[in-house]
Amino acid sequence: MASTELYRYLTVAGVRIGLDPEGYLVDLDQWSPAVAEALAEEEGVTLTAEHWEVLEVLRDFYARYEMAPAMRPLVKAVGRALGPDKGRSIHLMRLFPGSPAKVAARLAGLPKPANCL
Amino acid sequence: MKLHILNRSPASSQVPAQALSAMGPEDRLLLIEDGVQGALPALIHHYAAIPGRLYALREDLVARGLIGRCDGTVQVVDVDGFVTLTEEAEQTLSWY
Amino acid sequence: MHDVTAPTAGDLLVILRHSPHGSSWLREGLDAALVGAAFGQRVHLLFMGEGVTALVEGQQAGALGQKGTAPTLEMLEMYDIETLWVEAQALARFGLSPADLMLDPVPLSADALARAVATHPLVLTF
Repeated sequence: MASTELYRYLTVAGVRIGLDPEGYLVDLDQWSPAVAEALAEEEGVTLTAEHWEVLEVLRDFYARYEMAPAMRPLVKAVGRALGPDKGRSIHLMRLFPGSPAKVAARLAGLPKPANCL
Repeated sequence: MKLHILNRSPASSQVPAQALSAMGPEDRLLLIEDGVQGALPALIHHYAAIPGRLYALREDLVARGLIGRCDGTVQVVDVDGFVTLTEEAEQTLSWY
Repeated sequence: MHDVTAPTAGDLLVILRHSPHGSSWLREGLDAALVGAAFGQRVHLLFMGEGVTALVEGQQAGALGQKGTAPTLEMLEMYDIETLWVEAQALARFGLSPADLMLDPVPLSADALARAVATHPLVLTF
């Protein structure tokens, strides 16, 4: 579910980006690649081409299904879009350490995945 | 055996028919809240397909003044009986 | 249209009995199914009673902009929820045929429906 609770701001190129208590965008339309870079920096992640292609998969997923995926469907979507080598949780764990479905959704400017604990 | 719990009346709802259509040959049906209306002789025909497997909760019958008006085929249970039915079932399903 | 006489059992059967937009029950049932699937359970769905209308083609967001359920239904396969059953009697009551429905659900006769409920260790009704 998209949170509407404003908790803090992240300033990217002079624009204030509202974040909820868990660091997800309050206004999903404020997302840009620069916002993704800034959010990634907070996570201690430097975005490479391998990260970007996963973020693209996530944004396509959300555009189509109106929800951010839990881990299993994320793995499946990445596998379909980028091939079986990348459609594996280990690949996503390496790119987005901790909880890939949550971290990647945050960087992709999606709401928090609803059905993933 | 599953225990199906129903709180809607066959006089006003399709839900009792849904519960019946989902019941297996051993399953039991417990009427609670407005569901206990189904225990009245005028409505009991809705449950003709499950002889011996129909229960109604005493406190809901009492609250509605229906305790003395139940069809004789309905097994009236109190809350302890409700618990026993639940324990005997592998699972309970709610129909509402 | 083919009927299934021996439905295969999953871990969890979610029965959806409410139409879209009228209440939140349909969405809550779908959420329960998605949570189960996200945790690796084999989840099967049964659209029963009014729930069959959730599958009608051509649904939109609500008048006040509430999300529709069609995108969520299309997402089910991404969660490996691929067994979709629909109550044949309810379809008939609404004058619908399988051709009117999205996702190609399998109609269940009354007998098959009762067997599907019996063979699942966990059944949730919404």
